[in-house]
Amino acid sequence: MLGQVTFEQTIDTSTTIVEIQHLTKTFGKFTAVDALDLQVHKGEIYGLLGPNGSGKTTIIKMVCGLLRPTVGTVKIFGHSLPCKSIMNDIGYMPQETAIYFDNTVHENLCFFGEVYGLSKESLKKREQEMLQFVDLSQWRDALVSTLSGGMKHRLSLACALIHEPTLVFLDEPTVGVDPELRVTFWGYFEKMTQKGITVIITTHYMDEADHCTRVGLLRQGRLIADGRPSDLKRNTNTTSLEQAFLTLAGRNTL
Amino acid sequence: MKLQRTFAFSRRALLQFTHDRRTLAFILIMPLLMIVIFGYTFGGDVKNVAVEVVNQDTGPQEGTSPSLPSGLFLGKMLIKNFDEEAFSIHENMNITNARQKVHNGQAWAVIIFPANFTQEFLITLTTQQGVAHARVEIYLDASNPTISAAVIKTVTQSIQTTLKQLSMSLNETQMQTPISIDQTYAYGGSDTRFIDYFAPGVISFAIMMVTVMITIILFVNERRNGTLQRLLASPASEGEIVVGYALAFAVIGICQSIVVLIAAILLFNITIVGDIILALVVILLLAFGHQGLGILLSAGAKNEMQAVQFIPLVLFPSILLAGLFWPVESIPGYLQPLSYIIPLRYGIDAERSIMLRGWGIGEIWVDILVLILFALFTLSASVLLLKRKN
Repeated sequence: MLGQVTFEQTIDTSTTIVEIQHLTKTFGKFTAVDALDLQVHKGEIYGLLGPNGSGKTTIIKMVCGLLRPTVGTVKIFGHSLPCKSIMNDIGYMPQETAIYFDNTVHENLCFFGEVYGLSKESLKKREQEMLQFVDLSQWRDALVSTLSGGMKHRLSLACALIHEPTLVFLDEPTVGVDPELRVTFWGYFEKMTQKGITVIITTHYMDEADHCTRVGLLRQGRLIADGRPSDLKRNTNTTSLEQAFLTLAGRNTL
Repeated sequence: MKLQRTFAFSRRALLQFTHDRRTLAFILIMPLLMIVIFGYTFGGDVKNVAVEVVNQDTGPQEGTSPSLPSGLFLGKMLIKNFDEEAFSIHENMNITNARQKVHNGQAWAVIIFPANFTQEFLITLTTQQGVAHARVEIYLDASNPTISAAVIKTVTQSIQTTLKQLSMSLNETQMQTPISIDQTYAYGGSDTRFIDYFAPGVISFAIMMVTVMITIILFVNERRNGTLQRLLASPASEGEIVVGYALAFAVIGICQSIVVLIAAILLFNITIVGDIILALVVILLLAFGHQGLGILLSAGAKNEMQAVQFIPLVLFPSILLAGLFWPVESIPGYLQPLSYIIPLRYGIDAERSIMLRGWGIGEIWVDILVLILFALFTLSASVLLLKRKN
């Protein structure tokens, strides 16, 4: 039996933040994302999980309005994309570091703050909060090119959060990040959800997915499972998400 | 379009250059270097051309003309009247040896005054025959057209000067050349030098080159680093991004122009007769248009390496066809229409008209209009390009 495995959920679905319907993206003959249906609710950390090339980044780019879907719709806060006005409430951290290396930490934060239309006073306040949040206060006036890789990653996250978004897309934020920083990052993400921020995150580290409220397992552009990590493991009789994924992937190709 | 956001783009880009000292140096020193190097080396006039002079002139024969001094040696007078700076003269009595030197490349020309040079001149003068018999023979290495033209010009000028001197000293009306030229100047003057002509061109060229190069590289980096993705997923509009960068390059262009103008005035004492504000407006239009061109070209490049490959593509047509060094009139006729599609041509033309002729908007409105259209076209095409999504 092919198709998506859904598990019973006891999650509050009253406030749907992101609603994806039948989302499909083809590049020529190649189907990168295949008829994806997905809902993400307020305050969730939703993890899009899958190996390289499974379509995670393509989904994020369509949800951010950077790619146009071949078929299907994306609704955010009830508005159909494309819609510029909702962008003020969205934070996006691309896969690349995506900050300006020839500017200082302070200049990067100010620039992105101004792009999101923050006033001078709130920018000042938010800059300090973000510098503390990612622990870069003492590097405020350092040129980004002189920072370590981990610091650059932290700044990139801070730039995505400077304008207090209520919905954040993080595209593989922990790729190429050392284990210690990965733990730190997941600490940040959990803090964010405590403030009611909804997070959609992509990763191919299965162990990270245990921190997610819900995960969607992707394989070759198709969502093969969607549910809470504990439910996924229980229903496949496995002890780790990695095994769960392999079991589900095996079922799917039968 | 929100101004705060637009200015944020300009400010960030300008701040980047304050941290990247080398690029800043490139932006400001490159045009300075160009004007200094070209100003000193490209004097325009050829100087110290090695020539062999064979003067066999024996002067007048006895009793040719009672009204003329017997001591007249026309050959000698001509040699004296050669422009001192133009020639480096070596006097030689041996024609064969002199010619040999031209063959060996030691000299560019042999100038020969035959034995009967003065005598023939006097015969023509007194008998008033229509044919000039006195001949200066020039044996020329014409492989370099600029130098051979300079040799001919120097000899001709010397003949004119000599004739004028003779007619004045003898008060002989009949010796005056039948045609005389009275030069008056609409613009410029006898003291207008190549540098005066070159400075407005080099300013325009430097703006074009720096703007195109830096825009291409900035935008290739924006794409590769993911910052552009981040901006396109923000509330910022594509128009704000493009205009924000355009304003940054406008500031850069103005700074460059001021540096070059100050250098040109201090070092070369160039004269600017026109309205400097109008000159700066032209600079702004050039910067806007070429910034748009840079964004468009950057879309065709995957990395900095490919981006750099575009530069000669923009550079050479502009150098050769826009009239930077040589006037557009010196381009072969069938290629001249090509120069009309080089935007820099209109910039250089406008800057020269303003600085050298003192023209205003009434005279150069066509140039201005073309530059405005070019800027509108490239900038709006850039906005559309950024809006394009797969």
